[in-house]
Amino acid sequence: MSSAKQSSTWDLQLRQLLLPKLDHKASECEDAIAVDTQTFRFAVADGATESFDARNWAERLAQHWVQRKSTLTVEEFRDWVATEGRELHDSWTGLTLSWYSEEKARYGSFATLVGVELDLNTESPSWQAIALGDACLLHFRNKTLLKSLPLSGSEGFNSGPVLVASDSSLHESSMQSVVTDSGTFQDGDVLLLMSDAASLWCLQRFENGDLDVVEFLNSKSDEELREFFDAERLAGRIRNDDLAIVRIEIKRSKS
Amino acid sequence: MYSAQITRANPTCIILLIDQSGSMGDPFSGDSARKKADFVAEVVNHTLHDLVIRCTKTEEVRNYYYVSVIGYGRSVGSCFSGELGGRPIVPIAQVADYPLQVKSSYKRVADGAGGWVEIPVRYPVWIHPAADGKTPMCEALARVQEILRGWLLEHPRGFPPTVLHLTDGESSDGDPNEIGRQIMSVGTDDGAVLLFNCHISTRRSAKIEYPTEETSLPDGFARTLFDISSRLPTNFLAAAAQLGVSALEGSRGFVFNGDPSSIVQFYEIGTSLTGMTPYRWMDDRTETA
Repeated sequence: MSSAKQSSTWDLQLRQLLLPKLDHKASECEDAIAVDTQTFRFAVADGATESFDARNWAERLAQHWVQRKSTLTVEEFRDWVATEGRELHDSWTGLTLSWYSEEKARYGSFATLVGVELDLNTESPSWQAIALGDACLLHFRNKTLLKSLPLSGSEGFNSGPVLVASDSSLHESSMQSVVTDSGTFQDGDVLLLMSDAASLWCLQRFENGDLDVVEFLNSKSDEELREFFDAERLAGRIRNDDLAIVRIEIKRSKS
Repeated sequence: MYSAQITRANPTCIILLIDQSGSMGDPFSGDSARKKADFVAEVVNHTLHDLVIRCTKTEEVRNYYYVSVIGYGRSVGSCFSGELGGRPIVPIAQVADYPLQVKSSYKRVADGAGGWVEIPVRYPVWIHPAADGKTPMCEALARVQEILRGWLLEHPRGFPPTVLHLTDGESSDGDPNEIGRQIMSVGTDDGAVLLFNCHISTRRSAKIEYPTEETSLPDGFARTLFDISSRLPTNFLAAAAQLGVSALEGSRGFVFNGDPSSIVQFYEIGTSLTGMTPYRWMDDRTETA
């Protein structure tokens, strides 16, 4: 899905893609994308497949994060996640659960999250981001990767990322892994927000120098991208995981 | 090999083969109140519980696994009873929905403020201890072979089936070597069937876990079980390492003279498979009361 938004000085070209795992329904996708083009806040969250109510947790984190005005420091983030987690757990109260669902619910939900806020109302536009886990933000300029967070390269990925827990009693260690960062834009810069499988694919392609990912994601139609990612996952070149990709391109306004 | 993703469309099969001969009624490790059969039944119930939890998605259990629990002693057959009675292989969602009973207890968990709090939990039970008769190991392996034959016809491309065999003694109906080798010689596009063996003993002999060669084994029976034990694939080696168990490239899925902790680890390693996120975040904060 593509769209264009404008500040007084800068145009924003926006592209989103959300794909469930192969052989899964869209309603089973546990990645979430949230976009607020009024505040220029964008987020991608990835619910941990084996946790209880993972899809709701990921959607709640992404959607509520972009609706906030701040939450860009570790302290604010920690307080905000604790509140969101309590509300999620409250929503389970009164449910009649089987023994296995009850056990899952006891440990709560887990997800990864990356969120970015753009400041475009200036001659020197900038971004601020916060991330926990392995959903990543990549900043490209002229085919060069300027920044990648919270993981700086493909070697940083493993099967046990740090997770945003809905149970705040688990935050003591995980919140120490929250990464915050910022950067400035130039005309034509591109930000990519992606869940883990897409981030890993993108970083590997960049590191191997075998595909201009930024251009590739812009040049293909939604249908072509879906077919491409389905084929890559079927062939095992990308892990069969949900995929969430947000491509944000900043261009100086012509008006 | 051993890398196929386990999905509902591409599930795998896990067979738990349990010796239920009369000697399993003997005490285990000097604890006269605790029979070997009691301990094994408890571990098998815990294993089934963990397999269900791994496949639970909020309020749905997804059929990533099809499970068989075969016992052998006075007779050979499925250990499931009640709603699951008589069925040689059961999708994990039905295992979840039809335990024989669900017991209530309490569990101590971290309260997040440096202390502990007791919370109510429910423990499902699928199998009860049994110990009677001889040790018809060959007949039991033939039953496993029959189940595998049907499974492999229908699932030729999935993660290969895993057979976890636990016994406390030698076969009473012949040499299991040939049929064990036959089981290990079939498989899917992703690899041969994995046959792992855990021998348990009340003797005070030193236990041997996951050996790489048979020269270290004390007798012919141990060497027979070694011969019909598959090498541990990489994923299983990683699971062993996480549990602090010493297993090397080339280690067989084989334990001889195992003690209670060997049994627990044998089932944990044997069901580690692939593609499933380890539950470290659960283990790290819970403690059974």
